[in-house]
Amino acid sequence: MSILEVKGLTHIYNSNAAFVNDAVSNVSFSVEKGEIIGIIGHTGSGKSTLVQHLNGLLKPTQGTVLFNGEDIWKNPKEIKKIRAQVGLVFQYPEYQLFEETVWADIAFGPKNMGLEGDELDQRVKDICRLIGVKDEYLYKSPFDLSGGEKRRVAIAGVMAMRPKVIVFDEPTAGLDPRGREDIMKIISDYRKDSGATVIIISHSMENMAELADRILVMNRGRLEMFDTVENVFSQSERLREIGLNVPVVTKVFEKLKSCGINVDTHVFTVEQAVAALKKVKAGVSDA
Amino acid sequence: MLKDITFGQYYESRSPLHRADPRMKIVLMIVLIVFVFIAGNIYALLFSAVSVLITLAVSKVPFKMYFKNMKAILPVLIFTAILNLFYGDGQVLIEIWKLTITTTGVYKAVFMALRIALLIFISSVLTYTTTPNDLTDAIESLLSPLKFIGLRSAVHTLAMMMTIALRFIPTLVEEAEKIINTQKARGADLESGGLISRIKALIPILIPLLISSVRRAYELAEAMECRCYNGGEGKTRMKQMKLSVTDLWTVLGAAVICGGILTLNILL
Repeated sequence: MSILEVKGLTHIYNSNAAFVNDAVSNVSFSVEKGEIIGIIGHTGSGKSTLVQHLNGLLKPTQGTVLFNGEDIWKNPKEIKKIRAQVGLVFQYPEYQLFEETVWADIAFGPKNMGLEGDELDQRVKDICRLIGVKDEYLYKSPFDLSGGEKRRVAIAGVMAMRPKVIVFDEPTAGLDPRGREDIMKIISDYRKDSGATVIIISHSMENMAELADRILVMNRGRLEMFDTVENVFSQSERLREIGLNVPVVTKVFEKLKSCGINVDTHVFTVEQAVAALKKVKAGVSDA
Repeated sequence: MLKDITFGQYYESRSPLHRADPRMKIVLMIVLIVFVFIAGNIYALLFSAVSVLITLAVSKVPFKMYFKNMKAILPVLIFTAILNLFYGDGQVLIEIWKLTITTTGVYKAVFMALRIALLIFISSVLTYTTTPNDLTDAIESLLSPLKFIGLRSAVHTLAMMMTIALRFIPTLVEEAEKIINTQKARGADLESGGLISRIKALIPILIPLLISSVRRAYELAEAMECRCYNGGEGKTRMKQMKLSVTDLWTVLGAAVICGGILTLNILL
């Protein structure tokens, strides 16, 4: 059984003509337990609207969202429980910080789930250890931290709820390369530890190629493709048509091929590129 | 939804009142309100009511919009009317316990209610036909005599503050919505519980909102300084306000209304 299943999801923002393009129409897909799904799409293609349905922040105009085979809206009063199961980290999550100490801020989510006392403290400290929030930070004000640290704490605030599915909306936006790497590491650390299913919205095709098992492509509110990294990025023509692109390494290999060098263009990560180049080199020395 | 809050009620349309100079409109609004209060008898008041209705028609804003405004103020209207109902002497109509309703009481109630209704209609004409930015510009221009008593920068600062406030309302609404969603995703419960717990539930929203407002203020101040903003001194405007023929007609119209009210006041 799929952990998350979306059936015929349509969302129309009420009578606000300016947002019609942003709505989602008739999207269906399912996600298996433990997968990493990348969502790509140009600005305004409905990615953010789509993911806000996964934890019940938005209610579908039509269609259903199933979590572990059950409609999340079956009992609207229980929607809070779904939000603890499907964690959602918004863009620039550091703007959600509000508590006096880092500890209290991370504890906000678990506390809302009903945890208290030692169990709560343990939960907060576990997640901090896992994703590298230093103990000395715990009793500082979150507003005294640097930008990258703030984001780490904000993400910890969602992870502390131990969601089975965790969704990130552009988790690395506005960070420097070091910060981007740190965030990506946090995500994979959490996944290794909890076995959670991860869904990431990103504009970085390179990140997607490296991380994702499958990629979901949104275009004008519709699901354009939902397939393996290889199958999605081999359709570079179509991706460019809808304002997206393929990873830089793939572009390099496409260029090499058009220059007459016999290479395989199904290369999406640096590692694959190295392997492919070695093969070419071996081929040349053979000849 | 927060998005449904409209601030500044400008209603796009092409009417002489939309074209009229905003400064003129503010002055005339004040004059008309004063005259509605001067109207001492029911004939004068009815005459101003008819004039206001004609003004509403001229503004080309649907009556529906004006009555929407009226709905909001209805409790005040009813309260005033009921209060006036019991103050008055003359022929007793109904007597309940110590309260008596008399003919003059009924007359007074209707009179006061109509007066308040007219006030609302007149001020609605101004807000429906003038954009918030035009309004602040007009206020700045009207307050400019204050600079002769040494308040030169105060007038401009005040107007700039109003303009910025108006500009940032939609931005803040959007920001608030985002923060609400973020905290909901962390399991915040905003919909249930008693009064105290609901107020407490607002803290996770208000603090981030406050912090981001302060951040925005700093950024805006820096951006303004980068473009050499240094207050009102020597600043010219892109849109100059000029009086035109339309304004002459508006003044004439207002003069007729005021004259009519005065005449009816004296004659009847």
